[in-house]
Amino acid sequence: MADFFEEYEGYPNYEKMASHDDAHGKVIRKKLWMVFWIMLIVTLIELAIGAFANMEEINKEYIFIFFTVAKAFFIVFVFMHLGDEKKALKYVIIAPYTLFIFYLAFMAITEGVYSWHIKDIISTVAMHQ
Amino acid sequence: MSGQSTTVTLRKDWEGGVSPFGVSYGKLFMWFFLVSDALTFSSLLCAYGFMRHKYTGEWAHPNEVFHHFPFLEGKNLPLAYVGFMTFDLIMSSVTMVLAVEAGHRKNRKQVIMWLAFTVLGGLIFVGSQCWEWYHFITGPELSATYHGVYRDYIMNGRHIIDPHFTGANLVVNSYTMLPTFGDFFFCITGFHGFHVFSGVIINIIILIMVANGLMDNRGHYEMVEKAGLYWHFVDLVWVFVFTFFYLL
Repeated sequence: MADFFEEYEGYPNYEKMASHDDAHGKVIRKKLWMVFWIMLIVTLIELAIGAFANMEEINKEYIFIFFTVAKAFFIVFVFMHLGDEKKALKYVIIAPYTLFIFYLAFMAITEGVYSWHIKDIISTVAMHQ
Repeated sequence: MSGQSTTVTLRKDWEGGVSPFGVSYGKLFMWFFLVSDALTFSSLLCAYGFMRHKYTGEWAHPNEVFHHFPFLEGKNLPLAYVGFMTFDLIMSSVTMVLAVEAGHRKNRKQVIMWLAFTVLGGLIFVGSQCWEWYHFITGPELSATYHGVYRDYIMNGRHIIDPHFTGANLVVNSYTMLPTFGDFFFCITGFHGFHVFSGVIINIIILIMVANGLMDNRGHYEMVEKAGLYWHFVDLVWVFVFTFFYLL
């Protein structure tokens, strides 16, 4: 593989381009630890809601999903450094996945709720026969 | 005018001779692999969501199933251990990203230190999952007041009638009348646990490579970064499993 790229003169060596000095490293580490504390606090809030709060009146699901997507955003864009990549790579990774996952979740939940209704209808019909 | 300038930058990126995404082929294909693996996990979780919505009301309450904590037997601590596991995985994700950061500075000693912490965190997680599986399979301890659940089922071609069944297997469990609950638990956490296990193995291999000075000979630490991408992905999946399986 190395020979393949050496044939092209002037092809950038991306492996060696990803480097920084000590001063810049300090800034990056500060950001990483801040993200860690944010994620820890979010997880603790989630646990407190999940284990102790008996919130029938509030829709817990939306709070959990919001926090989860926020944590996923931090992991992908800060820890996996997707935020530092080019716009083209960001779109290639995020756009197809997001489109597909909305479709998949919509299908699963719609069909699941439908099956729940139809299950009741079938059992009611069976009871009356 | 603005359209014209966009065309110029596009041609600069896409006319060849450079990577249009500005990354090496190894990292790009790591990303593509992770997207496909994420689709596998999302289909598992969507199948779980389907069953969860189909059996609303009959499904087990996770905070009543997972309330054990090691060395604190008998106490009711709902989801505390799963919370610890989440903390452990996020923590090991942070040590991994610090290893990647140290690799960008070509600081071999720090890379070794942070990678070792990451491996330790991964091993703690795999061990915790074994412990949790053990408690899920054996079920709550039988006390004098506990009557157990009567179960009548067929497993491995044999008809089994068990008046004091506790715990879970692939055809029956004592947490709910639905075998699907146990099946999804084993499938989703098992698949994720296997990813964690293979991630630990990959991290150990990278650690040995770094300790042998292979990355210094190459002049870059991109292997650490690629292994880090995989490890963060494992953490990412656990964030979703934690929410959709344990919290909701």
